[in-house]
Amino acid sequence: MTTYAAIQASMRGDNPMPLRPPGQVMSIERLGALHQSRLSFMRTLVRRIFRERWNIEPTRFDLDSDGYGTVIYEINAPHGLFSFVLFSDHLSNDERNDRVIATKWDLTMALVEDKVDDEYLEKLRQNVPKQEAGRVDSRVFVLSRANRSARNFDYVVNQLANGEQPSVDKIAEVGYLYRTTAVYGSGKLGMADWEKVRSKHKDFSRPFSGEMFVCLMLRNFSLLQVEHIARHKKPETFSPMKPELKRYFGIGNSTGLGMAPFLVNHPQLINQWVEMRELALARVRALGSVDTNIKNKLNDLIDRCSLHTVQTITEDQRQTQHNKDVVEDLAAIKMQANTEFNSWNDLVLWSEQHCSIQGQEMLVSIMLELYPELVDELEDFHGTDEHLDLDPLMPLQQLKSLIEDRYGWAIKIDFDADGARDTYWYRSEEKMEPRLGSIADVEGKKKHMDLAVGFAVHRCYSLLCEYITEHPEHTTARFMVHQPKLRGTVRRIQTMSHCFYGDIQANLLDQNILPMHLLRCKLAFFGVSKFDPRSRLWVRNTMFQGAPLLEEIGQTFNDDWFMPLAPKQQGSQNS
Amino acid sequence: MNISMNELKAALRRCFEASGYFVGNYEDAANMIMWLEKHGLKGLNELEQALPYIGADRDKPLSKVIYEDATSATIDAHDRSSLNCIAAAVDLAQAKALENGIATITVHNCHNRMFILKALTDCGRRGISAAAYWQNGSTKITEHTAAIRSGQRYPSYSEALTNLETCGDDKQALTIICSSRVDLTSSLQNTKKDYISPKRVAENKQHSIEFGIEIDDKLWAEINQLGTGILVENSERSRLDAGGR
Repeated sequence: MTTYAAIQASMRGDNPMPLRPPGQVMSIERLGALHQSRLSFMRTLVRRIFRERWNIEPTRFDLDSDGYGTVIYEINAPHGLFSFVLFSDHLSNDERNDRVIATKWDLTMALVEDKVDDEYLEKLRQNVPKQEAGRVDSRVFVLSRANRSARNFDYVVNQLANGEQPSVDKIAEVGYLYRTTAVYGSGKLGMADWEKVRSKHKDFSRPFSGEMFVCLMLRNFSLLQVEHIARHKKPETFSPMKPELKRYFGIGNSTGLGMAPFLVNHPQLINQWVEMRELALARVRALGSVDTNIKNKLNDLIDRCSLHTVQTITEDQRQTQHNKDVVEDLAAIKMQANTEFNSWNDLVLWSEQHCSIQGQEMLVSIMLELYPELVDELEDFHGTDEHLDLDPLMPLQQLKSLIEDRYGWAIKIDFDADGARDTYWYRSEEKMEPRLGSIADVEGKKKHMDLAVGFAVHRCYSLLCEYITEHPEHTTARFMVHQPKLRGTVRRIQTMSHCFYGDIQANLLDQNILPMHLLRCKLAFFGVSKFDPRSRLWVRNTMFQGAPLLEEIGQTFNDDWFMPLAPKQQGSQNS
Repeated sequence: MNISMNELKAALRRCFEASGYFVGNYEDAANMIMWLEKHGLKGLNELEQALPYIGADRDKPLSKVIYEDATSATIDAHDRSSLNCIAAAVDLAQAKALENGIATITVHNCHNRMFILKALTDCGRRGISAAAYWQNGSTKITEHTAAIRSGQRYPSYSEALTNLETCGDDKQALTIICSSRVDLTSSLQNTKKDYISPKRVAENKQHSIEFGIEIDDKLWAEINQLGTGILVENSERSRLDAGGR
């Protein structure tokens, strides 16, 4: 078991691990090329649930024959008792909308501390189905909603009702029965603040573990619900779904621009996630021994990742090309590993010369998969205290050097070049949804969000250089009294200089900025797969595909659901 | 109504951003109010006093250092709310204390000085002891002091009604003392004081974490209404900005 101090020493001590440099790792293109790994939050949550053998049972199951009604699961975890409350309501096809601006959904859910009695259930019933239009209290710590997959839900019900199994090819096309369209936590809509969840509920004290858990429960319920409806529809012919098919169903997710501001506004947290992933990689590069057993496993994982990528369906041309590149890269990596391979470090360096960025990052995820003993203990260090602190005593010459050293990428950007400031980020009055506009909209531009860290640092540097010529002996504190408008930027620069990786290196104002990179980065840390960009602003993906089923808690658990494959089925193209 | 701390902080940030506060500053202002309320020190009451004037600060001159030596400085805040100027004053005190052991900063013409408690607490967390003193009121004069020891997480706070008739020439002054070498505590000599210990401050925080924050519906609506100033009107084009190809 490692400690925070040991981790810091291994990154910054006298004999540090060979971490990849910030300029390489924090480029937005690389962050947008990340894949799920065994450190992803869905993996770490499932590991915890299965290793700690959580007891999760439905204590109320009031569904009518069409699957509408109320369900409560009680969750007995090592440090507390929780309730997952779900309301299933009828929704017409016309009303089904995945955008955040929707007002009705097929399912709405809440994760609540302790048992839920009838009185409290009624209170939840009055508010949870309304989502943003309702209010909950601080017993609730995650709130979510989901819509049925129009392509899959009725099809699967009918198959099961007729005693048939759903087609693997259909599931490979759309790997879920429900799509979540928002998962809220951290004090929104009256819920418990993260500060409470983190300190009081140790079972959910890792970042986003409550939110991931709700999605896992939704997946479990979706499988239970289709069987329930099918059984009532044709009890004489109904047959339950085979477990291997159930495991291949995940939960769909649509993610839009809302995730992008989070990444910019929580730089220390994102840095922490990146640091743990990069430290895991560095450990494997430096400490991972290569023997026949590992080589065999590597070959298996390369084949699996390749097939998983082939089985990923998207209409997006760019993503399609990326997927093709990854498949080619994996073939090349396999060939390289089978001819001349004794060191992970050499293989990583080789991949940087010969593979696409997505291919390089796929190799990273594979490497982490092979060495749980070097990687898994880092999962407890994904959280961090977030304080952007000013260092008022820092001499201005030092501040200037710091910017040149850590934000050279921002200083180098020519913000006067054509298109360099053609985009702005704003919040719509419609549910405060983040959006991306063009500066041609003059009125909207006046209300832009301050997400352009690169531009802010660039400007700060210019003003600092001017000030230094007159007051070279001054401290940061004195500069701040003179330029109070730079306070937020200066303290961010100073604080992030203590982090190994620091800020995301991108000009978020550029006309060609691809927010998709930011969305994918966060989603990869969550652990999703099957990225299917629907535009440059939102992406569909699949959560928990391949994860073990809740009814399997207590059975053997090999934690091996990385890059899941379609199960074998007679006549399937994917078999 | 009951709201979470995160909701309050987010709404306050929007409110101050819409009121012309700049990056870094609207976060500070939101955090200062949130900190007081979270720790049971009536941050929302203070906000109600400040709210009618927060938009006016954008037209006022920025704070200016009018005197400075190695261990002291005097700053004219030009009738600004402490919400947008006091953090920089405390930073200056901290920097001088780190250089010279102890420092005193006097801020003139500064309103809503109670909000300094968050900045003082940050000093304590960073290993600097800090204390502040100010008087308030035009007919009934109250006096206030707060202090935190180096490395501590919570300050003490005292308030008392004085028998003074005026605050003197400068009704909006605030004195800040910071030290990197001496542990400062402050206690009003007034015998009829309300004293809130660091322990009590910590207990208040635990209550807020567990149950959230109670806020008057009208004030909550007002904060949110002010915050709508940063939202862009909805349109078909705007909807495309969220998901168009």
